[in-house]
Amino acid sequence: MDSERKQALFEQTVMPHLNAAYNLARWLTRNADDAEDLVQEAFLRAFRSFETLQGQDGRAWLLAVVRNTCFTWLKKKGERTAVEFDEQMHSGTDEAPSAEAVLLNEAALGSLQGCLEGLPLEFREVMIMRELEELSYKEISEISRVPIGTVMSRLARGRKRLQQCLEGALR
Amino acid sequence: MNCEIARAMMANNDPGLAEHLRSCQSCMIRTHARYYEAPAGLEEKIRLRLRKEAPAALPWRWMAIAASVLLVASLTWNLSMLRSRVDPEQALASDVVSAHIRSLAGTHLLDVPSSDHHTVKPWFNGKLDFSPAVKDVDGFPMLGGRLEYLEGHPAAALVYSRRNHTINVFTWPSAPGKGVEETQNGYHAESWYSDGMAFWAVTDLNEEELRQFVALYRK
Repeated sequence: MDSERKQALFEQTVMPHLNAAYNLARWLTRNADDAEDLVQEAFLRAFRSFETLQGQDGRAWLLAVVRNTCFTWLKKKGERTAVEFDEQMHSGTDEAPSAEAVLLNEAALGSLQGCLEGLPLEFREVMIMRELEELSYKEISEISRVPIGTVMSRLARGRKRLQQCLEGALR
Repeated sequence: MNCEIARAMMANNDPGLAEHLRSCQSCMIRTHARYYEAPAGLEEKIRLRLRKEAPAALPWRWMAIAASVLLVASLTWNLSMLRSRVDPEQALASDVVSAHIRSLAGTHLLDVPSSDHHTVKPWFNGKLDFSPAVKDVDGFPMLGGRLEYLEGHPAAALVYSRRNHTINVFTWPSAPGKGVEETQNGYHAESWYSDGMAFWAVTDLNEEELRQFVALYRK
């Protein structure tokens, strides 16, 4: 691809998703400076491998690069990124939020940020992609490189944990 | 799911919002969790890095610009050199005037003091590989001659006088060129070419009398 055309195409298909890239990196790293560095690195990587985009959705493609960049960095930092058990096998242990759940009030909403940030990485990433980026299960499964079923079970468990955290914050 | 109800309740400060969000965690996150927008300046930083990353995009355009700049610089340089390059006739005039001044400043004005061109002309035989045209010039008595070295080869200097002024005529074999009149440091010089020889007459006389001398000499 002609280099000037590549730049123009990149500008058109990838650059508009800078906010999504930063939002995901910020939620994964929980740190503004790291997020900024990693987003820059991710864009560089994305530009180098721009040929692999091949008509996919620019945002999902870019987020996959951002996610990989962040995970590589987190692993290097020693953060646990792997799930040590198969959620699909254990997903049955998750219950739907109880009917007796404490009524959410403003205080609970205030703890939302902390509770989301406190979620283990594997739940946090699917929650952010699903709720804040509103990506489809299929897109999330491609970005996270796990089966759709795993995405769904992680989402369910993430929601359950978030709920517990919010209720705990109110006690 | 776009959480229209939740957003509408938020906009209206509806007290039922919390209750609604309890039933819809997605809406709670979408309306209350922070969406981090990229900090100002990040986009520019990225563009800057990408520009460095893609030097291949630039070479032809930049090389063309660089080439143009070099071309203009080189043309300017050459033009200025051409303009400042000393005109060879002018450089020669400087040499000739210097030789004239030297001849007057030192004690070496004459190798052969003689007012007779029949004495002066043969004196050069064996000292030069050419025979200078030595002439008597009416009103400008000859004082004699001497050997000079000009333009990288030997030259004959013939010395004439007018009142208390001295005229040096330098001559040596040369391809024909254009004759010039020069004035340097108050000395006047006039050159001409004749019979395969270059002639330079230099003096502190006024230009009018120099021209008169040259005209008589060339007769």
